[in-house]
Amino acid sequence: MIEMRGVTRRFGSVTALRDVTFAVRPGEIVALLGPNGAGKTTASRIIGGILGPSEGEAIVAGISVRDDPNAVRERCGLVTDQPSLYERMTLRAYLAFFARLFDVTGAKERITALARLLLLEDVLDRKLGAFSRGMKQKAAIARALIHDPRVLLLDEPATALDPEMARTLRDLIVSLRADDRAILLCTHDLDEAQRIADRVVILQLGAIVRTGTPDELRSIGRPRLRLEAEGDLDAALAAFARAGVAPTHETAGRRLVFRFEADEPRSTTPALLRALLDADVVVLALVPEQLSLEDAYVTIVREARA
Amino acid sequence: MRKAWLIAEREITWEIFGDRGAVLRTSLFALLPIFFAISARSSGSGQRLDGALLGLALQASFIPALTGVGLIASTFTAEKENQTLVPLLAAPIRDFDIVAGKLIGMLIPVTAICGASLGVFYIVSGWLYGWARIARVLPPEILYSLVVVSFLYLLTAGSVALIIAARVRTSRAAQQLAGLVIGLSILVTALLGAGAIALFDGWGLVVLGVVLIAVDVFALEIARRVWQRSEVIARI
Repeated sequence: MIEMRGVTRRFGSVTALRDVTFAVRPGEIVALLGPNGAGKTTASRIIGGILGPSEGEAIVAGISVRDDPNAVRERCGLVTDQPSLYERMTLRAYLAFFARLFDVTGAKERITALARLLLLEDVLDRKLGAFSRGMKQKAAIARALIHDPRVLLLDEPATALDPEMARTLRDLIVSLRADDRAILLCTHDLDEAQRIADRVVILQLGAIVRTGTPDELRSIGRPRLRLEAEGDLDAALAAFARAGVAPTHETAGRRLVFRFEADEPRSTTPALLRALLDADVVVLALVPEQLSLEDAYVTIVREARA
Repeated sequence: MRKAWLIAEREITWEIFGDRGAVLRTSLFALLPIFFAISARSSGSGQRLDGALLGLALQASFIPALTGVGLIASTFTAEKENQTLVPLLAAPIRDFDIVAGKLIGMLIPVTAICGASLGVFYIVSGWLYGWARIARVLPPEILYSLVVVSFLYLLTAGSVALIIAARVRTSRAAQQLAGLVIGLSILVTALLGAGAIALFDGWGLVVLGVVLIAVDVFALEIARRVWQRSEVIARI
């Protein structure tokens, strides 16, 4: 549904995107992560047909952004971090205005259906300036969905929303994916990305530094393990040293919790367990530990920067 | 152009008539021509009064147009400032339709105010100085020319204001620069008008109109170029 093929975008002497290639399939949510200025917004604007690429090709629903940007815009719905509403208009008039811009047939029914979906029925005739931040963002989502687009571009849509509203928005995004829409989610919220994204693309200084599923990204680097035990801390640390492992540790009552990295867990862990047994330390659990997406993201971005 | 009219309709309905402050400010233009008409009393009678009435009629139709320039500049930068331009740019509309729509949305009401202001001046002056005199000083062709020249001036200065609005980030900066445009454009228009009247006698307003049309075409073309999506979005 969305294909970015070697897209580069320059603004004067500044290169905002460099040779970016990725795809979003129908029914898929792809999270575009990256620090400020990484090029996330530029990428979403190119896909949305607002900007043309300097080099490469952006294809949306089989249409090149360069060849027919208006046809691309007809197929995309864009939500930005700012609701960007005409605050003197009522919600009904606002949605009707965009319905006419997008040549929507049966606009009245569509507006009613969207208001019902987003729980905005009671405020359809209220001016947008009187809306709360969360309601404004819902109105912006209704605007983006007015023409029932197959592609949704969400550029940090949960910014400044309270946790409850952010959760409602997340549920809505997931329900929209079920309609076979291709959804590109540009976000700083790694928790949000981890919960709903099928795949993640990490941008750094306009270039892609890593792509994969959230689980693939979380398993980068050396395998990490967590060992829980009971016994003497000094004896346990000595056992770790004998096994050639340098853990971090914390204590919770009598329980000792160690975390460590092991290049070869198959050989390291038996040796470690033997050493702990010899030191009269009772091992309660030994489990592999995944990085959080946030840790993985920070590691990837730091590596890329280095 | 259908979508340009749609944008214009929204501007007029919601941004002009939806703004009570703007409606109140606009209503002041109804008072201005009354004061102008009354102030002509101090010009005595005869030819001096006729000249004063003609000059004040020009001001009555021109002053709303001057404020319209500031309005055009601020409405465009406000769209950038509030980011309301982004959803418009993401809609299937040509760049030119966005610019034309917003411009038409400002031109129609402001030109209507220019005409109404001139109408109020005509009625109050007719009542104060006699209908025969006012009909002689301001015949229909002069009234028509004054409204058309005000419209063309608004279009020219408005297009320049549009170019400025594309380059600055805040409404305040746009309005300050629009003030400069208004000052300079009054000077240029006055010089052109005086020159046209001196050189071409009664055809002065027509010549001024032709010059303004030429400038309009040039300024609108530049405005169209600077308001291309890729240019504008880079500044949001």
